[in-house]
Amino acid sequence: MNNSNRSYKAQKVIDRMGKKLNRQMVGSLLGCVHCGLCTEACHYVLTNPGDPTYAPAYKADQIRKFFKKHYDWTGRVLPWWVKAKSLYTDEELEELKDTVFGKCTNCRRCSLNCPMGVDYATFNRMTRGLLVSVGIMPEGVAVVSKDQWEIGNQMGVLKEDYLETLEWLADEMKEELGDPHAGIPIDKMDADIVYSINPREVKYDPRTISDAAMIFYTAEENWTMPSEGWDMTNFGLFSGDDDLGGAVARRLYEKVAELRGKKLVISECGHGYRSTRCEGPNWAKMDVDFEMESSVITMLRYIREGRIKVDKAKNTVPVTFHDSCNNARSCGLFEEPRELLGLVVTDFREMYPNRAENYCCTGGGGAISMSEYTPRRLKSAKIKADQLKATGAKVVVTSCHNCVDGLSDLIKHYKLDMQVTQLVNLVANALVVEKKVVVPVEEVPAPAVAAGFEGYRILVIDDEPDFVTFVSAVLEDNGATVFKAYNGDEAIELARKEKPHLMTLDISMPGKSGDEVFEEMRNDPELKSIPVCVITGQPELRKLIYDRPVPPPEGYLNKPADEETLLLNIRKILKLPHGAKVSDAKSKSEQTGVPRG
Amino acid sequence: MSELLHFSEHTLQEVALGFMALVYIIRLTWLFRFTAGKDRQAQTGRDGTTPRKGFIYSWANIAMPWAMESTRTKLFLYAQFVVFHLGVTAAIGLSFVIPYVPGLLDSSVLVLILQVIIGGAFLVGVMRLIRRISNQYMRAISSPDDYFSLLLLTVWFAFAFLSVPNRIDGGQWHLITYFILTAFFLVYVPFSKISHYLYYPFTRYYLGKTMGHRGVYPMRRVPQVRQ
Repeated sequence: MNNSNRSYKAQKVIDRMGKKLNRQMVGSLLGCVHCGLCTEACHYVLTNPGDPTYAPAYKADQIRKFFKKHYDWTGRVLPWWVKAKSLYTDEELEELKDTVFGKCTNCRRCSLNCPMGVDYATFNRMTRGLLVSVGIMPEGVAVVSKDQWEIGNQMGVLKEDYLETLEWLADEMKEELGDPHAGIPIDKMDADIVYSINPREVKYDPRTISDAAMIFYTAEENWTMPSEGWDMTNFGLFSGDDDLGGAVARRLYEKVAELRGKKLVISECGHGYRSTRCEGPNWAKMDVDFEMESSVITMLRYIREGRIKVDKAKNTVPVTFHDSCNNARSCGLFEEPRELLGLVVTDFREMYPNRAENYCCTGGGGAISMSEYTPRRLKSAKIKADQLKATGAKVVVTSCHNCVDGLSDLIKHYKLDMQVTQLVNLVANALVVEKKVVVPVEEVPAPAVAAGFEGYRILVIDDEPDFVTFVSAVLEDNGATVFKAYNGDEAIELARKEKPHLMTLDISMPGKSGDEVFEEMRNDPELKSIPVCVITGQPELRKLIYDRPVPPPEGYLNKPADEETLLLNIRKILKLPHGAKVSDAKSKSEQTGVPRG
Repeated sequence: MSELLHFSEHTLQEVALGFMALVYIIRLTWLFRFTAGKDRQAQTGRDGTTPRKGFIYSWANIAMPWAMESTRTKLFLYAQFVVFHLGVTAAIGLSFVIPYVPGLLDSSVLVLILQVIIGGAFLVGVMRLIRRISNQYMRAISSPDDYFSLLLLTVWFAFAFLSVPNRIDGGQWHLITYFILTAFFLVYVPFSKISHYLYYPFTRYYLGKTMGHRGVYPMRRVPQVRQ
């Protein structure tokens, strides 16, 4: 096949490769001796015995072959001798996509196990970028990248929703502490710390924000959160798009500079930390003149400096720690989390292997957003499931939101009796908060039922009877009138009949699925204004909802959802004040020593 | 000594070495045309991890089988690697000893040591060939160059083994073949996977420097299996 038969996209990929290559990559592309020592370093290989297409060297060769054909002399003269081969068709590019996105999480474990120092993850990422540049990528990558380009954060959280969530959390905090000065400062100038977060925290896990806020409050930190440019995640890392990477990083750095912040603290997120702290200045081609640190280091510093006090007796369940690949293998962040854990839990159990040798959560490299590869991902998660099980822990702690999702998925898939939580949750749970003296105002105690759901009608839709029973019991205990539907048709019928104030909706149901029900209701003038909280055990399906051409749901929760999380989210959607009963739930968790994860 | 053997030991080797050096210079010039990526960000990681320590550690990795899981858990393969590369060193050294300092081989101890090393390397070469052919993962990643390079070295070891005593009383064919193979090896190397040693210092330097800057290298030794 000659050049004239090459597709436009294939030609672009080849041309652009030359511009992306640097000396490190060329060395890695030339240096492989096919010794096979990397093979068993890969979790995909270990869980797919007998399939050599998962072997790192094999995957690398799918990239190496067209590098050799176009850039290496032996490959040009004797291509068959070194298995050099050009790219010609869009189908070949699709196959390459399957390799670089679907068979590798860029975890870098093989790189650290290569005697030659071949950094496969680096040129795998480069190849992702080449494919993305011609529009070939998993749909999830396209959607998330678009959100990050256009809206400024990877989950498309609107500014008003973000600010509203922070305001709601701040109100809760004031109530809980009885201190009107507590809260979350927004866009405060000259703060010592500017705190950046993952949009997942706003959308699905606001408790991590309130826990961090509680820690900053207790440490009497001069801190702030930016109203814009607050997303420290960066899909450029996963997509290989350095332009996106640079734009996202620059947005954050410029905001910190605008606020004259002294230090940027990055909440617990592996790829966010790596992107913001390590790769961002390189992608953005700018030098950053303020400090950046992981919130793990910040929390540890507070304890070391005596700015916060913790009582590890509040976290008594057996805990293990999962090192995020990006934190451990690409940023060297593995001792600090362990030191911090040692201060806030009583029963820490090491996972083997660990630190830079740990296995990927299998949701890394953007894999969580690529639903087409979910079965493959969950199959490869067996190695991680075995690792978790062997610890005997009941809680796995990780400093990465991506890992939280990846681990939650595999825990459910492999039916492990474990919960996932983050260090911020454990530190907040262990905090010894000394009540500050607040000038008393004329206090009118609110009735205990003020934050309950009396008078609210809630429709619970799920095909799992046990889950319906659980959600109904929690809501009824808090005063709501609950209607139950076990399939889509029943749900629509009940919604029309009862006109609930809110619906909880499962996605995967027999017959009419949750996303179909959702779109139908959103298009129904009678039902479209009913707030919806999606509750699913398959987070990868959430795109089914968000891809619908209708306004997005008001809330989202992962299963298994605990009582407190459920109530917090329902209250948020109904815009109800945070009440006594949630605090009761917290006290309960403190008594049992179960962290709020 | 026949003219052919003399030519093989001297002129042929010198021309082949000159050719290899020239091609390597061209190759390295080409490699340096690609700019090296840089880390602009401040260092991360534990105190004591620096880019300098990182690349030194990375270079030293070759002598630290405990440093990587892939070698730590496959010590037999690592031992094969050591023997094989010692064999290469010995066989290359032999191609200089025979023509320039043949007196060294009067020592029967040295002859024995070289034969043990090169003979061991030959056996490893055979084992590596078997592994490459019989293991489906190895087959999937192997190119004709991989098979040929390994076969070439294994055969070369065999003739090097026979040539170590540097005796021509039983015939010269083994020495002539050894030197012709050495010359072919020198000419072929820059175009084959065998040239990996040319890239090794660079790949490991850059990986080590990056990992040192990011606090990963030098890796701290901690238990990686349950005690």
